[in-house]
Amino acid sequence: MILAVLFANVEGNILIERFHGVPAEERLHWRSFLVKLGADNLKGAKNEELLVACHKSVYIVYTVLGDVSIYVVGKDEYDELALSEVIFVITSAVKDVCGKPPTERLFLDKYGRICLCLDEIVWKGYLENTEKDRIKRLIRLKPPTEF
Amino acid sequence: MAQPLVKKDDDRDDEAEYSPFLGIEKGAVLQEARVFNDPQLDARRCSQVITKLLYLLNQGDTFTKIEATEVFFAVTKLFQSRDLGLRRMVYLIIKELSPSSDEVIIVTSSLMKDMNSKTDMYRANAIRVLCRITDGTLLTQIERYLKQAIVDKNPVVASAALVSGIHLLQTNPEIVKRWSNEVQEAVQSRAPLVQFHALALLHQIRQNDRLAVSKLVTSLTRGTVRSPLAQCLLIRYTSQVIRESGNNTQPGDRPFYDYLESCLRHKSEMVIFEAARAITELNGVTSRELTPAITVLQLFLSSSKPVLRFAAVRTLNKVAMTHPMAVTNCNIDMESLISDQNRSIATLAITTLLKTGNESSVDRLMKQITNFMSDIADEFKIVVVEAIRSLCLKFPLKYRSLMNFLSNILREEGGFDYKKAIVDSIVILIRDIPDAKESGLLHLCEFIEDCEFTYLSTQILHFLGVEGPKTSDPSKYIRYIYNRVHLENATVRASAVSTLAKFGAAVDELKPRIFVLLRRCVFDSDDEVRDRATLYLNTLGGDGSVVETDKDVKDFLFGSFDIPLVNFETSLKNYEPSEEPFDINSVPKEVKSAPLAEKKAAGKKPTGLGAPPSGPPSTADAYERMLLSIPEFANFGKLFKSSAPVELTEAETEYAVNVVKHIFDRHIVFQYNCTNTIPEQLLEDVIVIVDASEAEEFSEVFSKPLRSLPYDSPGQTFVAFEKPEGLPTVGKFSNILKFFVKEVDPSTGEAEEDGVEDEYQLEELDVVAADYILKVGVSNFRNAWESMGADCERVDEYGLGPRESLAEAVNTVINLLGMQPCEGTEVVPPNSRSHTCLLSGVYIGNIKVLVRLSFGLDGPKDVAMKLAVRSEDEAVSDAIHEIVASG
Repeated sequence: MILAVLFANVEGNILIERFHGVPAEERLHWRSFLVKLGADNLKGAKNEELLVACHKSVYIVYTVLGDVSIYVVGKDEYDELALSEVIFVITSAVKDVCGKPPTERLFLDKYGRICLCLDEIVWKGYLENTEKDRIKRLIRLKPPTEF
Repeated sequence: MAQPLVKKDDDRDDEAEYSPFLGIEKGAVLQEARVFNDPQLDARRCSQVITKLLYLLNQGDTFTKIEATEVFFAVTKLFQSRDLGLRRMVYLIIKELSPSSDEVIIVTSSLMKDMNSKTDMYRANAIRVLCRITDGTLLTQIERYLKQAIVDKNPVVASAALVSGIHLLQTNPEIVKRWSNEVQEAVQSRAPLVQFHALALLHQIRQNDRLAVSKLVTSLTRGTVRSPLAQCLLIRYTSQVIRESGNNTQPGDRPFYDYLESCLRHKSEMVIFEAARAITELNGVTSRELTPAITVLQLFLSSSKPVLRFAAVRTLNKVAMTHPMAVTNCNIDMESLISDQNRSIATLAITTLLKTGNESSVDRLMKQITNFMSDIADEFKIVVVEAIRSLCLKFPLKYRSLMNFLSNILREEGGFDYKKAIVDSIVILIRDIPDAKESGLLHLCEFIEDCEFTYLSTQILHFLGVEGPKTSDPSKYIRYIYNRVHLENATVRASAVSTLAKFGAAVDELKPRIFVLLRRCVFDSDDEVRDRATLYLNTLGGDGSVVETDKDVKDFLFGSFDIPLVNFETSLKNYEPSEEPFDINSVPKEVKSAPLAEKKAAGKKPTGLGAPPSGPPSTADAYERMLLSIPEFANFGKLFKSSAPVELTEAETEYAVNVVKHIFDRHIVFQYNCTNTIPEQLLEDVIVIVDASEAEEFSEVFSKPLRSLPYDSPGQTFVAFEKPEGLPTVGKFSNILKFFVKEVDPSTGEAEEDGVEDEYQLEELDVVAADYILKVGVSNFRNAWESMGADCERVDEYGLGPRESLAEAVNTVINLLGMQPCEGTEVVPPNSRSHTCLLSGVYIGNIKVLVRLSFGLDGPKDVAMKLAVRSEDEAVSDAIHEIVASG
C-alpha cells in the first residue's frame, strides 16, 4: 500500500497531500516527520536525487524537484524500490506538466493538472499508471497511444 | 525547522513569485462555485474553480455537510458539458468530495451512462468514480459492466476495473470473487500494467486457497511475465508457496529455487533485488543457496542509486543476524558506505559491520565509526551505541577500546535519550565484564562532573554507591561525589549525600572522613539534603537510637525499599498531622493484583540503569520477611524459592486473585493475593479451600484466613502443605474462594451488620518441577561447565516430536526446567536447523546444576534434543532428566 504522497515547498509548507489507509489522527505526525526529514537531509540535494529512509516497518523515498520536495511513503509490497518507481513516475509527470523542474509559482499555476496526474498515478494506495506520455493523454481523457 | 502546517498564503514582495492562490478563502470559492449552475457553462472558468476547491481540500480545509452537499449538487450539473478537460476534473472532484450515500444517487445515472459510453476514457474514469462511491446494492447492478471492463481491449479501462476490484474485495468479497475467470484472462494480457493489476487481484481472490496459489505460481513461473512489477509480485507469491510447502525437501532440490535464481539475471533491478531478498529469507537457507543472492546484493552496494544501496545494505543487515559469515565478503564495500551521504545507509552499514566483524577488526572499525558519529542525528547514534554494546558483550576482551569509545562519545554533545543509551551501555558492560568495572566507573564519574541531566546524575550516583565501595580503591570516587554537593541542584545533592553514606557504611577506613563531609552537608540550603545528612550521621555513628547494629545500618542503606510505593503514597496522603508520628509499619505491603498489560511491561528484560539490579532479590527478601512474621511458618526453615504470581482469575472479574508459591524444604505455602473490585461489598473471613486430591503427596497443615477484604485494598490468605523432604513433588490443586459478603452503602462507606456466605470458583494451580529450581545465571558458562567436571554428568537423547518451530521447542524446554538461559542462548536465529542452549540454576537443596541442550530438526518438523546435565550431585542430574522425560 502507498500510504502517502506529499508535496511541500522550500519552507516545508504542504502543497498537496494524499493519504491512503492512514488514520486522520496519525497524519499530523507523518506530515511533521516527513517535513523534518526533508529539512534535515534535502539541503544541497540535486534535482531528482533520491533519498531513502525507513521508519518502523514503513519505507520513505523522497526527493527534490525545483522548489518542491516530494515524499512517498509505503509499506509491504511498496518497499523502497517500488516507491522509487512511484516517485520516478511522479517527478516525470510533474516535469512534463510544468515543462521543467518547477518553481513554487509554476507548480501552483499547474496545480489542477498535477492533481489529475496524481489521480492517474496513485489510486487509493495502488500504483495505477507508470508512463508519463500515457498519463499526459489520460488527464485530457485521450486514450493511450499504443491502443 | 520548517513550519509544516502553516497555510500557504504568506505574502511575497516579488510579483512574479506570488501564489495564484494568494488570499484564497473558502467562502469566496464556494460563491464562485455558483458558475457551475450557469446555463451557458464556461468550461475554463469551471476548471479553475474546481482547482481552487482541490487546493482548499489539500490544505486541510473541510466543508460542512451543507457546503459539501451544495458543491456536490452543483458539480453534477457539469456532466452537461462536453469539454474533456472539465469532465476529467469533475471525476476527480467527485472522488475528493466523497459524497454521502443519500447523495450518490444524484450522480449514479450520469456515471452509469459514462460507463457504457463509446469514449473509452469516460468508461475508465466512470468505473473508478463509481467504485469509489458505491455500496453493495449498486454494485450488483453494475457488476456485468465491470466484468466486461476487466477484459476490455483498452488497457486503461481494464486496469481501472481491476484496481477497483482490489478495493471492492475488501467490502464486497463475494461479488468480486465471481470475476475469477475474467481476471484469469486479464493475467494473460499483453499490456504490462494490466497483467500487474490482474495478478495482484487474482492472488487476493485466491489467497486462502493454497492449492490455487500454488497452481498460479507454477503456471506463471513457466510462462512470460511482461511487467517487472508483476514479476516482483510473482516472486513474493513464490516465496510464500515455498514457505508453506514446508521443509520436507532436501536442500538442493527446493522447489522454485531455480526460478528465483534465474530472476537474479533479470534486466530490471527491482526484480533482481526482489529475488535476492526472497532467497535470503528462505527457511533454512544454505550458504550454497545464499551465495548468488549475496553476490548481486554486493554489486548493488556500489550502485550509484541510493535506493539500491539502501535496499542492499538493509537486506544484508538482516542476513548478518543469521548468517554473519555469508556477509563478510561484502565488508569492504560496506566500509566504504560508512561515508555515504545518506545517513540511513551509513548507519545500516555500520551496524551490519558490527555484526559481521571479527575480534581483530574491532579496533579499525571503531576508528571509522568515531569520524562518522559526529555528523549523524541522535536517533542513528543510539542504534550505533546499542550495536556496540552487543559487540562488546560478544568480544569481552575488546572492552577497553569499546569502553573508550563510549566514554569519548559521552563527552560530546547529545540529547537525553542518546546520553542515556550510552550510560546504560556502560552500566551493562560494568555488570557483565568484571575487568571493565573500574574504568567504567571512572568514566561515569567524569561524566557527572559535567552532566546537564538530573535524572542521569542521580542514577549514576546511586549506581556508584552500590558498586564503588566494592572496588580496590573506593576513596578515589569520593571527590567526584562530594563535588556534586557543591555544584549541583538539590535533587543531585541529596543523591550525593546518600551515596557518601553508602561509602561510609561499607568501607570502615573511609567512615571518619565521610563523617566530616556529611557534617558539612548539614548546613545545606535545601531541607531534604540537610535531613538526609542528619539521618545518615545518626545512622552511621549514632548512639543506637536510630539503628542498633552494623548490619542494621547496611540493611538500611543498601536494603531495598520493601513497601510498594503506591501504598506508601496513599498512606502518606491519608496521614493527618497529629501528635502521633507517621508509622511506616502501618503501610500495607500487599501488592495489588496488576492488570495483565502492566505485567507484560514489567516482564521486560531489565536494561541499564532503568531497572536497578536489586529487583528480584528484593521481592524474595520481602517474601521471606513477611512469611517469617507469621508464627505458623516460622519453623519451616529457609525459603528456597518464591514463584512469580500466577493469575487464578480472568482480568476484570469481581474478585481478582493471584497466587505465589513459596517453596521450603519440607513445605510449600500458597500465598493468595486477593482484591475485591466491587465498591458495594465488604468481604470477611476470606479463605481459599484447596482440593489436593490430585496432589497425593501433599497434605494440608495450616490455613490462615483473611479477616476482612474491603474494596480495592488487597489482602492475603495463606494455605500451607507438607511434602516429602527435598523432593520436587508435583501436583494439581483446585481452589475455591470462600467468604462472607456484606453490603456497603457507597455514600457512607458503612457495611451492613449481616453477611451472606458465598463462594467463587478459581482456576486450578499446578506445582511443577520448575518450581524447585532457582534461576541463577553464571557469567562464564564454559568455565563453570569445565570446573563442574564430568563426574556427575548425565547425557541422553530425546525426541520431542513435531513442533511449530525450533524456537518454540527451545522455549518449552526452558520453561519446563525453569532455569536461567546463559549467554543469550535462549534466542534461536530464524531459519536455523540446529541450536545449542545453555542453562544454569540451583536445585532444591542448594545444588548447582548446568544444562547443555542441543536441538536439531529431524525431518520436516520433528525436533530431537540431546540433554547433557552436570551438577554437584548425580541424583540431581538424574532428576533433571526425569523432569524432561516426564514433561
